[in-house]
Amino acid sequence: MSRSMIQAAVTMNQLQQKLDVIGNNLANSQTTGYKSRQAEFSSLLTQEINNMTRPVEAEERLTPDGIRVGSGARLGSIMNDFSVGSISETGRALDVALQEKNHFFKIQVAENGTTETMYTRDGAFYLQPLENSDNVMLVTKVGYPVLGEAGPIIIEDGFEYIDIRENGEILIRRDNQTETAGVLSIVEAEYPQILEASGENIFRLPNLAELGYTLDEVMDDVNAHYGLLKIGALERSNVDISKEMTDLLMAQRSYQMNARTITMGDQMMGLINQLR
Amino acid sequence: MLRGFYTAASGMIAQQRYQEALSNNIANANTPGYKADQSTLRSFPEMLMEQTGSKNIPTTQGLNMPVNRTVGPINTGVYVQEMVPNFVQGDLRETGISTDIALINGTFPDEMGNIFFTVQDENGDVRLTRNGNFTVDGQGYLVTSQGYYVLDQNEDPIQTGGSEFIISEDGVLLAGADETTLGISYVANANELEKEGNGLFNGEAEDVPADATYEIQQGFLERSNVDSMQMMTQMMGSYRMFETNQKVLKAYDESMGKAVTEIGRLA
Repeated sequence: MSRSMIQAAVTMNQLQQKLDVIGNNLANSQTTGYKSRQAEFSSLLTQEINNMTRPVEAEERLTPDGIRVGSGARLGSIMNDFSVGSISETGRALDVALQEKNHFFKIQVAENGTTETMYTRDGAFYLQPLENSDNVMLVTKVGYPVLGEAGPIIIEDGFEYIDIRENGEILIRRDNQTETAGVLSIVEAEYPQILEASGENIFRLPNLAELGYTLDEVMDDVNAHYGLLKIGALERSNVDISKEMTDLLMAQRSYQMNARTITMGDQMMGLINQLR
Repeated sequence: MLRGFYTAASGMIAQQRYQEALSNNIANANTPGYKADQSTLRSFPEMLMEQTGSKNIPTTQGLNMPVNRTVGPINTGVYVQEMVPNFVQGDLRETGISTDIALINGTFPDEMGNIFFTVQDENGDVRLTRNGNFTVDGQGYLVTSQGYYVLDQNEDPIQTGGSEFIISEDGVLLAGADETTLGISYVANANELEKEGNGLFNGEAEDVPADATYEIQQGFLERSNVDSMQMMTQMMGSYRMFETNQKVLKAYDESMGKAVTEIGRLA
């Protein structure tokens, strides 16, 4: 296979992945708290070919000896765009939107028998009855417990009214008495780029010990204050559909263009084949 | 031997190499900071053709005198002499990501002068790049998408302390209270740089001279300066050149065929 065909084939494979990223963004353009991802390209290795090394041939050259041929492009990075999405009012008492960039709710995810603290910006919460008891627990859409400052927020049954305050306090009204059932624990990611998306709108931390960090360095607790949260509202996805569509078209055209390269390479091979 | 055989073949090889450069450009049409390669074709060095013959001198013995007559210079083919990166500024594209940085050229004292980010490759050597698609690594250092450290003006890695930082137009990175100046290098003749892949260039760099102007934009990327339309057009042209050479080669082959089968055949 000729070099030009390899270059194009490699690049098409990577473009396919870029299309996947764009497709995922578009699919999540209505997902609460979704953070869009951006894929950027990087060129691949360059091969230096010695050709025509006699001094006569070096005359009038602009560049150093040899010719350098690249071998296509690859996806260099896929980065999360952590900018805040637009906030839309829903009026639902258990909908909470984070107003600041890099703030996250803490949730508890039990996976393969181990419990891990993970992070999300999706603030559509629900109350889930606990097994064998009359108590209810504050959970995410998927059913993971939302963590308060003192662990999962469990509320005894028989309350009349629940209200989340702008500073994360959860107030309930029982027998005409108002009491605090817990305070939502909000953290700020100091190094948001190390967060890994783990599906279901959840981010998790990589192995911090390997990176030489402690949890406190990476995740700062945010002091509860007014204006931290917006109640009765959800953070929309920060995907910009028109931008994604433009990217999609460009990636698609690039894909076609590279496919043309392969066709042309093939036709040239055909010509060589017809020599005799 | 028919000399044109090799001439036509060299034409085909050169066009193939030309195609390689073009298809690599097309492949990198989306690579930030990529500089398109322009191939230059050059003919093989000229050689002088001489006609050798003899002249009969009409004497009683019938003397023959050797005669050499110069016919003229001839080239016997073509090759791709070099691939010169085109260092023209690429368009800017806004990404909104704070670790994306674009260099915008101003005026430089040298005609082929250009500025680059300095990075450190895996062997610890200093390299240059125009691809400002950076990120922050686990330790909080500013790195390229390959994980190479982006260097400051003292050739040290840049600690950002998380990804929230501001870069001013003159290249000062402000992370909290710390100020670091990005290492921007100047190359007086960018043509002397060697492309190394991964968007890196290798070559002699110096400090930016006082009369050079440039600007740095955070949240932007410099797009590849490949013009796909032009590449496609050149590709079609090059393809036809290839085909033409192939036809010439075939014509030669037919003449050879005739020489083999028909010359010297008894009727």
